[in-house]
Amino acid sequence: MNLWIREMKAHRKSLILWCIGIIAMVGASMSKYAGLSMSGSGASMNELMADMPKSLQAVMGVGTFDLSKASGYYGAIFIYLLLMATIHAAMLGANILSKEERDKTAEFLLVKPISRSQMLTFKLLAALTQLVIFNLVMLGSSILLVSPYSHGESVNQDIMLLMVGMFLLQLLFLGIGLAIAGVSRYPKRAVSISTAILLITFILSIAIDISGNIDWMKYLTPFKYFDAKHVMYGGGLDGRFIGLTALILVGSLILTYVGYNKRDLHV
Amino acid sequence: MNMVLHELKAYRKSTILWTCTLVAVVVLLLSMFPTFARDADQFKSLLKTMPEAVLKAVGVQIETITTILGFYAYVFMYISLCGAIQAMNLGTSILSKEMREKTADFLLTKPVTRTQIVTSKLLAAFISLLITNVIYLAAATIMAMVVKNGDFEMSKLMMISVTLFFIQLIFMALGFFVSVLVLKIKSVLPISLGTVFAFFIIGMLGATTGDGAIRYFTPFKYFDPAYIMQHASYEGPFLWLGLGIVVAAIAISYVVYRKRDIHAV
Repeated sequence: MNLWIREMKAHRKSLILWCIGIIAMVGASMSKYAGLSMSGSGASMNELMADMPKSLQAVMGVGTFDLSKASGYYGAIFIYLLLMATIHAAMLGANILSKEERDKTAEFLLVKPISRSQMLTFKLLAALTQLVIFNLVMLGSSILLVSPYSHGESVNQDIMLLMVGMFLLQLLFLGIGLAIAGVSRYPKRAVSISTAILLITFILSIAIDISGNIDWMKYLTPFKYFDAKHVMYGGGLDGRFIGLTALILVGSLILTYVGYNKRDLHV
Repeated sequence: MNMVLHELKAYRKSTILWTCTLVAVVVLLLSMFPTFARDADQFKSLLKTMPEAVLKAVGVQIETITTILGFYAYVFMYISLCGAIQAMNLGTSILSKEMREKTADFLLTKPVTRTQIVTSKLLAAFISLLITNVIYLAAATIMAMVVKNGDFEMSKLMMISVTLFFIQLIFMALGFFVSVLVLKIKSVLPISLGTVFAFFIIGMLGATTGDGAIRYFTPFKYFDPAYIMQHASYEGPFLWLGLGIVVAAIAISYVVYRKRDIHAV
């Protein structure tokens, strides 16, 4: 328990900064929405967009979102919120383990009367708590800041569903970050490697958008697992991808525990 | 000179890795172009049946985006994102690593002034970015030749590609500036990623809502490919603004680094 408190304290400043970042981000983008007015030919515009090939939609930057509604606009910016959340999660996961070795505190921690598994469990719990806080702040600020622009349209359910998807991805990237820091023999590089994976999968998700005919690759990039378009317009969260996320998460946690228990630590 | 060589050696692996990444990204994304152009052609024939007003609203945009230059301009956004991360990382770490890895006292007891240290580190960072850009430029040009669906103006493609270097220089200078101002940097990546993504997202927001003034706040939007394609030149005010940021950041870095306390072991 002490370890949990210690970790929460150590990450307090960064978590607060991230929360301010979230609120600023959601606030700034929604205030931009106020200034965004669709041209008069809205209906025929939407019709045209619907006929456009997917790849062209992606490049034109509109997608299938109806930008004349607050929910559509929120869906369009959601990918950036998701990017923020996953960066936070991946860095947190890699950092929370590797920092002991980086800051040369691993020795101090490991002579304490707790096993490595216990230590991992508490660190995991601390990271989990932070993800929950992050997600709740995102949820709260989204609901509060979107509602003034929604004009009675019910957006809260969509937002909540999107946030569940976001939380799953946060967990996924936390797991990946932890696994890399747990297994890698070079803990200093753990943060770089996990962000590299994040960036590669992000670029891949864009490539999938542009290409339009490599849909099978979406299993490779978590950014496509809970696509905002799919989630908001009837699809909900896809069971297959929830399963896949759980699988990757469990796999990476097992890897973390096994790898970290066996590994030589640099002191 | 020794310092420059030493830094170049220390960053050799990371430069090679980043160069490969940038080349891979541009090859991957540009290889999508042929299918994309085919899709778009079908759509264009459908577009002709649309009312005049709609045609005016999106017609021009679609015309540009389906040429190799227009498509490259779109793809370039993500390439500059990767490039900016590389540059910011490099700029932030190159000075601060001495303190983080406790080699600052070793370096500072050598018969060189702090100004010389800063100069050689900057030079090394500059050279490594330059190498990245030369290779990237070659790869992008070759790839564009391979996938093109018609003639295009090579000079404009070059001009757009070179803006990667400008953006990288701006972020490198920013990173350098940050590393001098912040007292102790425990790890570089959170700082550089945070900054780069913040600017990137600001730029994307500006693009979604079509706001002009927001462009001044993010280096990603200083060099608008659409403008370059039209006028075959850069936008003066933004070019000067970028240059101003680089010069100011570097000048302040010199002044501060000469005066500040360096924590030795």
